Amino acid sequence: MSVGPDTAMSELGLKPAIEGRPTSVPSAPVLLPDSRGQRWASLAVRVCTADGFYNLVSLVGGLLLWEIIARVFERPYLPAFTSVVDRLWELIRSGEILGDLSRSVQNLGLGFAFAAVLGVVVGTLMGRYAVIEKMLDPYVYALMTAPTVVFTPVYFSIFGLQRWAIVALIVQYSIFVIIVNTVTAVKTVDRELVEMASVFGAREHQRITKIVLPAALPLIMAGMRLGMGRAVKGMINGELLIAVVGLGATSEGFARAFDAEGVFAVLLVVVFVALAATKLVELVDRKVNAWLPNSQR
Amino acid sequence: MIDISHVSKTFHPRAGRRGTQPVTALDDVNLTIGDNEFVTLIGPSGCGKTTLLRMVAGLTSVDEGLIRVDGKVVRGPSPDRAMVFQAFALMPWASVLRNVAFGLELRGTPKREREELARDLVRKVGLAGFEKSLPAELSGGMRQRVGIARALAVNPSVLLMDEPFGALDEQTKRMMQEELLRIWEMERKTVIFVTHSIDEAILLADRCVLMSARPGRIHEIETIHLPRPRSRADETSAEFIETKARLWDHLRSLQLAEEPKRVGV
Repeated sequence: MSVGPDTAMSELGLKPAIEGRPTSVPSAPVLLPDSRGQRWASLAVRVCTADGFYNLVSLVGGLLLWEIIARVFERPYLPAFTSVVDRLWELIRSGEILGDLSRSVQNLGLGFAFAAVLGVVVGTLMGRYAVIEKMLDPYVYALMTAPTVVFTPVYFSIFGLQRWAIVALIVQYSIFVIIVNTVTAVKTVDRELVEMASVFGAREHQRITKIVLPAALPLIMAGMRLGMGRAVKGMINGELLIAVVGLGATSEGFARAFDAEGVFAVLLVVVFVALAATKLVELVDRKVNAWLPNSQR
Repeated sequence: MIDISHVSKTFHPRAGRRGTQPVTALDDVNLTIGDNEFVTLIGPSGCGKTTLLRMVAGLTSVDEGLIRVDGKVVRGPSPDRAMVFQAFALMPWASVLRNVAFGLELRGTPKREREELARDLVRKVGLAGFEKSLPAELSGGMRQRVGIARALAVNPSVLLMDEPFGALDEQTKRMMQEELLRIWEMERKTVIFVTHSIDEAILLADRCVLMSARPGRIHEIETIHLPRPRSRADETSAEFIETKARLWDHLRSLQLAEEPKRVGV
């Protein structure tokens, strides 16, 4: 999740494999339902080739492994999957976790929105104007590689024990991948398209809004996906370290009370938030880049 | 009217790169092109024909000399000099209609008005029914029809075509040449058309300008006397065959003049 622009490139199928990721296996051959055995066989084939089938197999396998390891070793800080689910159900029913969830998601949404807008603006300026790139480059790379946690006290002292300290941390966690991807995206826009716009009378702001940004959008969205993953991390770390609200704060409380099931239950919710958030970005990506042929996704 | 007078251009290698020397792309080029005249530029690669076209477009700066279009000195691109690109340069995210209307969109023409105009041009270039298609869904020939329609949409006084059929296969290329002749009869414009193909250069042009390389100069100008409207059938006429033979002779003499230089270096 936390890898640089290279991953984003390969996610788009731009660099290593031009043919892109393999699409789902073609649907099963049609069999005449003349015998029961054949019908079952055909159903089995269809299930096995369904989208996400192997994801499911791997997920079930992993959870099973977790359960077995936890039951065999019986360590106090490694609760079994089933007991974590029990605890989660308890927390959901008591309404405790839903409040946390909504506060955390609000932090995430705010932080990511700031990072996305600011990241695209800064990245576009850097990608388009060499002077701005030269001036900002050292900061972007320094801050991207610096351990973000170190900055927690700074935000804490600026914003106090408030939501905005967490939001700021989320922004810092997620903005740099977005910037770096946007810079690459803007730089790799087909020069001839920009020239074409000039020939037909486009001014600089028109070249940016009508050519550069739409052409760069696929790569920018790849950066958004990575950025969202990092934003979730930032949200948890912020809530753990600043510990005022949300899932992180609750999980911290459980940890202090030696409630391992509780900690893992919150973790499950966090994973769910992360998956849902990246899925959301993916959906937006598909929507805004609908023109891209499947082979380039 | 386009007036190219004493135009020179030298490309300097980027600082820090060793082993490369400045290249004189164009050396004292003079050419006057009348209104609604169709001129083709032909010559060996490196003769600066594309550079000259880009200078008229305002995409490449002029080192020495002046280019005037309708009396005004060219200082940058303008939709008054629309261009058709070899690699089409279509926006892959935009429909055929939006691509064709792009120049008008930049100008701020209201949506309904520009789409009506674009629809009309899409029909003229033979793409009716494909208004909503994306470029990726079209063949190469169809994409270039979009490129031509887009250029015509801004109603330019000059049409600049940079090897527009160079990326197409032979059959499509021949078809597009006839299409261009047909469209040009409907929408007469001043055209500068860069090409590699002698046949294409003769079939389309009122005058064919043959350029020589290193440095790029105008070597010969052939006036093509074939009557208009023209078609493929003109390729078998005596006039066509004679002109072609003359142009070949010129090209061969250019090659011969260059051969010893190359061996010597």
